[in-house]
Parts: sequence; structure tokens; C-alpha cells
Amino acid sequence: MSFRRFLIKRTAIAALLTLIAVSVIFATLRLLPADPFSALVASGSLTPAEVEQIRAMYGLDDPIYVQYFRYIQNLFTFEFGISLTQQRPVGEIIVPALVNTLVLLLPALVVTAIVSSLAGMYAGWNRGSWFEQSSIVVTTVFRAVPIFVTGIFLLIIFSYGLGWLPAFGMRSPLANPQGYVATFASVDFLKHYILPFTATVLFYSGDFLMLARNSVVERKGSEFLMLHRAKGLSEMEQLGRAGRNSLLPLVTYFALRTGMLFQGVITLEVVFAWPGIGRALVQAILNQDYPTVQAAVFIMALAVIVMNLTADLAYAKLDPTVEAGDV
Amino acid sequence: MSGYSFDTETAKERLRSELGRAGRTLRFVLKDNAAKAGFAVIVTFGFLGVFGPYLAPYHPIEDTLQQGGSMMRLQSPGGKALLGTTSFGKDVLSQFLAGARPTLIVGLFGGVGTGILGFLVGLTSGYFGGRVDEFLMRLTDLTFALPFLPMALVILSFVTPNVWLITAVLVVFLWKMPARVIRSEVMTVKERTFVKSARARGAGHTRTMFLHVAPNVLGIGFLYTAYAVGWSIVAGASLAFLGFGDPTTTSWGRMLQQVFRSGAIRTAWWWVLPPAVGIGAVTTGVFLVGRAFEEIVNPDLQTEQE
Amino acid sequence: MSLLEVNDVKIAYRMPGDDVHAVNDVSFSIDEGDNYGLVGESGCGKSTLAKSVLGLLDDNGEVREGSIEFDGRELLELSERDWQSVRWEDIAYIPQSAMDSLDPVMTVGAQIRQAIRKHRDVSKAAANERVAEVFEMVGLDPDRTGDYPHQFSGGMRQRVTIAMALALDPDLLIADEPTTGLDVIVQDKIMDKLIEIQEEIDSSLLMITHDVGVVAETCDEMSVLYGGKVMEQGETDRIFRSPTNPYTIGLKNAFPEVDEFDEQAISIPGSLPDLTEEPTGCVFRNRCPFATERCEDGHPPLDEAGGQLSACYYTDRADELREEAADPATWGIDVRDERDRSGGVGDTILETRGLEKWFKQPQGILEDLRGAEPDYVKAVNSVDLSVHEGEIVGVAGESGCGKSTLAEVIAALQERTGGEILIEGTPVDDLLGESTKEFRSRVQFIFQDPFDSLNPRQRVRAAVGEPLKIQGHDPETIDRRVRETIEDVGLKPAEKYLDQLPTQLSGGERQRVAIAQALVLEPTLLICDEPASMLDVSLKANILNILREKADERDIGIVYISHDLASLTQIADRLAVMYLGRIAEIGATEDVVTAPKHPYTASLLSASPKTDPDVDRQRVLLPGEPPNPVNLPEGCNFAPRCPKADETCRGEEPARATFADDDHEAACYHPVEDVESELLERYAAAREEEVGEIVESELTL
Repeated sequence: MSFRRFLIKRTAIAALLTLIAVSVIFATLRLLPADPFSALVASGSLTPAEVEQIRAMYGLDDPIYVQYFRYIQNLFTFEFGISLTQQRPVGEIIVPALVNTLVLLLPALVVTAIVSSLAGMYAGWNRGSWFEQSSIVVTTVFRAVPIFVTGIFLLIIFSYGLGWLPAFGMRSPLANPQGYVATFASVDFLKHYILPFTATVLFYSGDFLMLARNSVVERKGSEFLMLHRAKGLSEMEQLGRAGRNSLLPLVTYFALRTGMLFQGVITLEVVFAWPGIGRALVQAILNQDYPTVQAAVFIMALAVIVMNLTADLAYAKLDPTVEAGDV
Repeated sequence: MSGYSFDTETAKERLRSELGRAGRTLRFVLKDNAAKAGFAVIVTFGFLGVFGPYLAPYHPIEDTLQQGGSMMRLQSPGGKALLGTTSFGKDVLSQFLAGARPTLIVGLFGGVGTGILGFLVGLTSGYFGGRVDEFLMRLTDLTFALPFLPMALVILSFVTPNVWLITAVLVVFLWKMPARVIRSEVMTVKERTFVKSARARGAGHTRTMFLHVAPNVLGIGFLYTAYAVGWSIVAGASLAFLGFGDPTTTSWGRMLQQVFRSGAIRTAWWWVLPPAVGIGAVTTGVFLVGRAFEEIVNPDLQTEQE
Repeated sequence: MSLLEVNDVKIAYRMPGDDVHAVNDVSFSIDEGDNYGLVGESGCGKSTLAKSVLGLLDDNGEVREGSIEFDGRELLELSERDWQSVRWEDIAYIPQSAMDSLDPVMTVGAQIRQAIRKHRDVSKAAANERVAEVFEMVGLDPDRTGDYPHQFSGGMRQRVTIAMALALDPDLLIADEPTTGLDVIVQDKIMDKLIEIQEEIDSSLLMITHDVGVVAETCDEMSVLYGGKVMEQGETDRIFRSPTNPYTIGLKNAFPEVDEFDEQAISIPGSLPDLTEEPTGCVFRNRCPFATERCEDGHPPLDEAGGQLSACYYTDRADELREEAADPATWGIDVRDERDRSGGVGDTILETRGLEKWFKQPQGILEDLRGAEPDYVKAVNSVDLSVHEGEIVGVAGESGCGKSTLAEVIAALQERTGGEILIEGTPVDDLLGESTKEFRSRVQFIFQDPFDSLNPRQRVRAAVGEPLKIQGHDPETIDRRVRETIEDVGLKPAEKYLDQLPTQLSGGERQRVAIAQALVLEPTLLICDEPASMLDVSLKANILNILREKADERDIGIVYISHDLASLTQIADRLAVMYLGRIAEIGATEDVVTAPKHPYTASLLSASPKTDPDVDRQRVLLPGEPPNPVNLPEGCNFAPRCPKADETCRGEEPARATFADDDHEAACYHPVEDVESELLERYAAAREEEVGEIVESELTL
């Protein structure tokens, strides 16, 4: 199969998948037996007449298929509508939250991908060594413990116990920076950043370390490394070749993980009160704020699908031995 | 068609030899020190899950501890409450002991359900290939695309959560992980000569699939079931921590949610530590045993000579 | 002084439990410019020795005693850093499996350049020049240095590794089974190239191989290894002309030669010695037909015997032993009656008419939409084949010729795309119609790889009983027939084997279990796809004998697929040669072997190495490799490589019976009369021309 054919096929599948995913989201939100406004009526903030009016305003009176098509159309033009509870466009809520999540997770992911992969390669090369054993146990612990538990431990040690670092949010209550640069390039931000960043790095380290270590272990007995050795390559040069040959699964995994980034690490954001997309979503769900939930889940799904596609294509392009059709 | 499907006698014999193999494997896994520690934690946790509620000195929710006529709020450990009290005057030790059971149920059933469903899907998909495979794999892609925790939260926000519902939701979202791995493993095993040989000897698809292919990927299946137990515990605890757990029972995740919500997390370390350490220890235990097991079953790691 | 001197070397591998003593007190030496052969079967320690000379033993292996001196320098005392400078600069290595030995994510040019620049301080451009040079030396296109390994065929990859080994003009080349797994014609061409170059650059060669023929044709001196011990050592010619050690004699006799048909194959019974302890007696004594009590007292010393060295207490009786060893009965083999090999006597069991298996090639979406006719790989293309009762029909051909596909299509493991298959006169579709049971009870299959053909989780009893269980027999019958069949294939007593798992069996035993699985249903047709090709030569014959016996006793018809012509000539009554999906030639084995008519058959037959040192064989330098099966040429498939081809050949495909002499048919317009002058000399001349052209083009530059 030619690469172009492969590309077309994969893209078509991704598009179809997106359509099905958003339909599932739509159905889940509509079919479940509850009305976002009944709570408001019950709490006495709205009269039934007002509810009728709002329902009409949001188009909830239209037949379900009309709502469906309008929903699809809006999603693909990135028109997410107005939040039910905050009376402002959903985009205004979601975009800053997304930025905050990315600022936290992307650097953490990149750092851990590089550091842990290198450590994992070294560990795999020295199989059975003290470094290998201990690095596996340590990263397994951090991979296994739920990230919010790790977060809580960090909090009670470094914030509440030692009082070194702030516990809450992204900046001090008094700080009121304008613009992204002022927000993210300050000592105050950095102090708030350290703990959640550390928790994330530790959490992701296990997967990369094991993946790199296993790939190198797998390559270590291989014939081609023996030939490299026979050619007179030094130990480090051989490890370099083993590492190069192990790169592909790591790159793929990195792409997949990046796709999951938009989902944030919901519990971690809650623990550290990080104003990211995960926390925004939890609040929207608690408030039964449909449009916001829809938009957030849609973006998360889209990110995964796009990054999956990227990973597949990267795989086909990067590995000289894989014909595009084999993927 | 008797000979074509798989007969009970063969299945029984197979099962016996598999059990023997499992025993040997476990002994082998436990040579690893980390796995030994993990196994001890799991056994303890299993014990707590079964007997915990009977060991608790008080009822975790109904009994409010009193002292001198007033509620014992946020009492540090000692006296009547060995591990202190919550801000509602409940005994932390009792909550900790009782909280193991829901965690165990979610972990065990979620994990086993995930393992079985994933194994069957992976086996079918990998064995038959073609359109069946295409369909099932696109289905896994779909569950990958739908973000797990957000979707679970949405679903659980509309219905009152209970342990079994949560378990079911976990299985629906987690089966894809073992399914993918099992599928690729099956695709390798399927190409091996003995599978073709079974077909040439006259074995039908069911027989070939379950008696020749399945046993040779069973190890990986168990491994991912073990990991799925870990993931389920994590996911169940995460849901509870976010306030979407079963409101009628005490679980470790819910304890953490309460201590966090009440703001007592700043001071009441005795309330935070038991559930936090409990969850962390159990998941770590499961993963450590899993890692040691993986060293044996992952064919890619067998570089040494036989 | 010798270039390489190996003295009393002992090598052991640390294993959980017991250590394995892979090499025990081995000594040999190689003089400058000499070709030295280490020959032996798997597990004899030959590869371990080769690796120790390069300091490449696995982490758990160590040289426990002895010395390895290279050019007067003790190698065993080198630090890892010193090793790095010795490797490739002084001693280069041609690895066993070129398939896996090249780094898959590095261009071949870069891999060779890396070797050069590691040792020489040269610019990238200069290194590239050298890469192009060695590429030309081994007969590869220098424009392809930028390609990745997977873009080359197996034979070309092996050339790449040879080019790599030549890059620094090493003093010693170690070639570890350099042609194993390659087709015989490709093997011939590569050996030719290797020897030619090695003479040119005047280096020594250490050739490690299990193939007695390769050593006989390339090496001046040799050692025969068994169980980590040298059994016989000396000049190659001498050893092959008059071997003095029973193991060498057995090995030589077991090694089949293409033109030795109608001779019962000899196999050495028993299995390899347990090497977890250092040998206390002669390592070969448990398999040696001449062993006496004396052989228990330590491994015999390597003593002078008739001009060579031999480790046997009875070298003085060597002539007598040789004579006795020629008789299969000496090796515990039941001597068969003279049999009728004319074929075609009994009823027809299998008949295929115009059998086809075409694989559709994927094409672009646009072509799909346009409704363009897709390309096909014609793996099996209108094959007519018949097998009679008690007859073994051999199908020979190189990898990719479609022979395995043919086997699987006949056995209904793959669906055919055209033509007809009749089993005892009944169309196969009728047999398969309701259930496959009926068909499976008549047609059974034996696979190539004994190490993978048994389910690792199934004990022998269950494995052999399964086909009966599927047919719905009762437990008593199953038990009885399983025991019978197991003993029938030579696994006696059955009790000993019934509860074994495949991992507890040796390769030969596993393959016999696989045969038992096939025979237990008492089929009328047995299809064997390379059943012995992965076994050592001393075990191979055993499998052949069992099959021959069954064909004779039970009147089973057997289709025997193999790339190994020598095995085929020993076992087959009739022989078919396939090339690119078609049968090029078919006839009684003796006719085809002694008077091949199709140029391809003739080339194939001439390419088999000979152990007889007196034969001076002309190598088969058949140009090119089989063309891409998707775009086959018009006319005869073989025409582009055939020196006799003319317009007729390129225009129209010859029918199978274009040449016909009784049963002997060949699809050729110009049947071969004299192989030497019509083919081999012309191939060689064509190559000279090619080389001449390259030299000329260099001169004009």
C-alpha cells in the first residue's frame, strides 16, 4: 500500500471515529434521565415558565435530530454556545483552562519522556544491576499510586508540614497578572508550579522507563548489536544503537500520551486547585452545564484521535522497515 | 459436531495443568523481593476486604463518638479512637477497616471483568483478523477516544452511583487495554506452526482458538488482569475522591474526599494517612507483582537461552 | 609462526543450575593465507569458539583455560579497550544470519562507514569511497549504499556483511555459517565470491559450518567438532578421503549427495551428550556403534592416525570401521528390501489439474475506482501433479518458487483460486463439503519447523490423540492408537514419551511426534513441507527413513517438499522442480538427476556442494535472482537468466511436455544436453564480461 493511500484511509477512519465519538457524547448527555434545569427549579431559582423560556433559547424544544445536527455543525465550527451557568461563551471558559493544563502537563511530559527514557535505556543495558532494580521499583511505585494520592502526600509534606510551597491554585490570591507572559514567567507562578509538576513527572516516569528498558532488553541479545560489537564499537556506542532502535515505540507512546494531555489529570488539578480543563470539567458536570461539558469532552476526544493518527503516521514514516500497509 | 468444539475432558485436563503451572509461576514470581512485599500487601488487603468491617470497633458512619457529652471532632489518635476522629466525630480506624471492602470489590471485579472481556475481544480479533478485527479495533479506538474519567463522571452524575455500577463503568472503559495487547500477542501465536498444524489435524476454529492459541497467551492475559485490578482501584478511588463514589458506603477514596473537602487536610494527618497509605500500598503491591510476572511472561524479555 | 593459535581452550556457560561445558580442550592453528574449517552439528561448540576468538562470548560465557594467540599476541588478556582495536582491524566477522545482523534503522553504507571511521581517521568522503569499493568487490551496485537492509534480498544482505568484513583488509576473516538459510545457487555464488576475494586480499579464513560439502570445497585444513571436543583434525582432502574417526565417518555418510540416489540414508542414532559435566569418557561413545568399555575411560587423546589427528582408541582399525559404517545396519537401521522405484504402480491418490493460487496485489484507490485489473502474484500457476499409492513425489525449488503454497493448497490450508484437486478420484470440494473431518482423515500434513510445530502446552499423549478425538473415537481406541503410532515412529517405549512436554524433547523427537500426529489417522496422502530441513544431518536421515518406510508399508502417497535436492534424491520416486509457480521439469528421480533437461534444473543440481575432494566442480554462477513474481516476463519465466534463451522462449511460454521422454517432461524448447558447456561455462563467461565492463568503465573515468 502506498503511503498516500494509507494516509487517506487513516484520515477517513479518524474522521468517522470523531463523528461517532461526538454522537456518543451527545447521546450520553441527552438520554440520561435528568434535566439540567430541574435542579434549578427545585432550588427555587427559576420558575417553570422561565425554564420554558430558557429551554427555547437553547433550542432544547426542537426535535432531537434537529438538535443533533445543530450540535454537530456547531462543534465542527468550534461554536460551543453559551454556558448555562456562567452566562458567557463556553470558549472563554475552556480556552484559558486548556492553556493552564498544557502549561502544566506538556513540560512535565517532555521532561519525563526524555529523562525516563534515557534512564530506562541505561537500565535495560545493565540488566540485573542495582540501578535497574531500584529504578524500576521506584518508578513503579509512582506509576501505581494514584496521582492524587501522590499529590496529597506532596501537599502535606511540603505545604502543610514544612510550609515551603503554596498549596492552592496557580498564583497568590493577591497577584493579578495581565497576559500570558506575566502570568507564567514569575517567581510566584513557579512556586505554585513545582509540586503539581513534580507529581506529574513522577507519575509519567514509570511508563517511559519500562518501555525504554524493555525495548533495549529486547534488542540487547540481537545479532546486529553483536555485529556492531564485532566492528569494535565501544559499550556506549552500542547502547546508542540499541537506543536508536528502541526509539520508535517511545515516539509513538509519546504521541499517544500527548493526545491524552487535554484530558488533563483531573484529580491532580482538583488536589492542587489548578485552574485547568479537568477542574473546569468537574465543575461543569457538578453544575450540569451541558454546553461546557460537551465542548470539553469533544476537545479531549478530538485530541486523542488526532494524536493517534499522528502516531500511526509517525510510525509508518519513521521506521524504514515498516511498509505503510503493515501498521 | 462433538469433536469440533472443545470437549470437557480436554478442558478439565488442561485446567489442571494450568493450575499447576500457575502455582509454579507464583513461586517463581515471589523470588523477586519487591514482588514478595507486594504480595504481602495484597494478602493483607484481601484480609481487610473480607474481615475489615467485622474488626471495626465502631460503625464507620452511624456511630458518632462522644466524650463528655460533646462530639469528638478531629481528635488526634489515642484514647477511644486509636487513629483519631474525623470532623464529624467518626472513628478513623473503623472507617479505614470498613473502607477496604468497596475498594476490594471495585478492584477485583473491575479488574477481572476487564481482563476477561479484554481477553475475549483480543482473542477473537487477533484470531479471525479481517473484518472482525477491523470492527473490534475501531471499537477500541472509540473507547480510547472517549475520555474515560470525564465520561464516567458524566454518567455517574445522572444516576446514583453504587459499587456495582461503578465496576460496570470501569469495565466498559478499561477492556480496551488488555484487548489490544492480547490481540497483538494472538497475531504472533497464530502464525506459529503448531496452530496451523492443529488446523491440518482437523481442529475447528473454536478448538484451535481456545485450546491452542488461548493457553499460549494466557500469561499475558493474567498479567493484564492484574494490571486492570490496579487500574480499577485507582479509577474507583479517583471517582470517589471527586465525589462520585457510592454515597452510602465508606471507601478509602471517599475518606480522602471528605478530609479534602472539609479542609481538615491541613492538620488532621491521622485522617489523611490511613486511606492514602492504604490506596497507595495496594496499587503499588499489585503493580510490583505484575512487573515481576511480566519478566516471565513477556516473550520479548526472554533474551537468555532456554 | 601461525596467525591464530588456539591452545587447550575450555569454554563454559554459566547457567542457572549447572554450567554448560561447551568447549573442552580444543586446539588448532591457522597459518597466514590459509582457509581453515570448523565443522560440526549444532551444539558442538563451533560458534562458541568463533566468538571467543573475537571476544564476543555472551555475558554468561567465559574461557576458563587455555590461550588464544593472534599474531603472537595473547587475546584472552586484552582489555575491552584493546579488544576494540583488534576487532575488525585485525579480525573481521561474517555473521550467521545476515537477515538479523544488519542494523535495521541504519543504511548499509553508513554501517560499513561506521566500521571504517571507528578504526581509521579518514574523512566521510574517503570512507564513502571505500564503501563503494567493497560494494563493487562483492558484486553489489555501489549506488545502493544509501539503502536500508530490508530493501535487499537475503543473498544481497549476506554480500553486504561480506563487504563490511572486507572494509579494513583484515588479516583473519571469521565466517560463521555464512550461507546457511540461503538457496543453493545463491550459496554457490557467494562462496565463489568469498573465496575469490579472500585470495585476492591474501587474508586467512576461519570457516564455521555444519555443511560438510562447503568445508570440503573451500578449506585446506579442518577440525571436526563434536560435543565440545575435536574428533578429527588435519588436511581436508585427507579427512574426507579416509576419515579415521567413527563420528567423521558417520557424518560423512549421513551427508546426502545429490547423485547418491537409491542409497538408504544413514543416520546416527541417539542424541547429543549432556555437557553439564566435563566429559569423562569419549563424548561420542553413547552413539558410536563401535564403542567398547575402553571408551568410558576418558576422552581419547588426539593422536596421529594416517596423516591426520583423530580422537579415537581404535584408529588402527579405521579401514575396517569405514567399511562397516557404510552399512546402515551398523547404525541400527533396518535395512530395506530393494524396492521398485518406477512409480505410478498403485492407484492414483492425488491428482491436481491446472491448480492455481493467485494472490491479489493491493492497488491504489484510483485504480480500484477505474476498475483496473489488479496485479497477481501467481504463487502456484497451473500445476498438474499426481501421486500414487506408495509413491513419494518430491517437489524441489528455491525459496519463493511456490512449493510451500502448493503444499498448503493441496492440504486445504489455503484456498485455491483455480483448477481442480482430486483425492482418490473425489473432488476435494465434495470431501470438504459438510465437514472437514472426512478430508482431514485422508490428507495429513507435516510441517517444517519441529521446534514450533507442537503446542508447547500440550503433552505428547494429548498432541497425538487430538486428531482422533476430533474424529470422535472413544478413549480406549485413542489410547491404543496413540501408543501404537508413537512406537511406530521410533519413540520406544511409548510410556517414556506419553507424558512429556515438547520442551523436554529434542528436535528429532519433536519431529517424530509431529509425524505421529499426522500418521495416527492413517491418512492416504501425506504432505511434508521440508520436514527435515531444520534438523542436523545425522538426524535428517532418520526422518527420511521413517517416511520411506510408511510409504512402502502402508501404501501412503507422499508429497515431499524441499529445497534440499540431496534429501529428495534419497527419498523421492519422482521429482518435480518448480520455478516461479510452475513445474519446470518432472520425471523419475533418477532421470531428472542424471539427465536434467531444463536449464534451471541443471543449474540447481550442479550447485550442490560435493564432499568428494577429487571432484572439481564448476560453480554455478547463474546471473541475477528470480524476478519479481508480480511482473513476470512474457514467455518462459526462466528466459531472462537462461543462456540458451532465444526469441521463441521470450515470446511464448513452453508447455510442460515440450520435452517429453516417457514420464520425463520438461517445459523447455531447448533441452540441455551438456551442462558444463551449455550452462556453467557460459554463466562464468557472462560474469567475466560483467567484471570486465566495470573495470573498463573505471578506466575511462
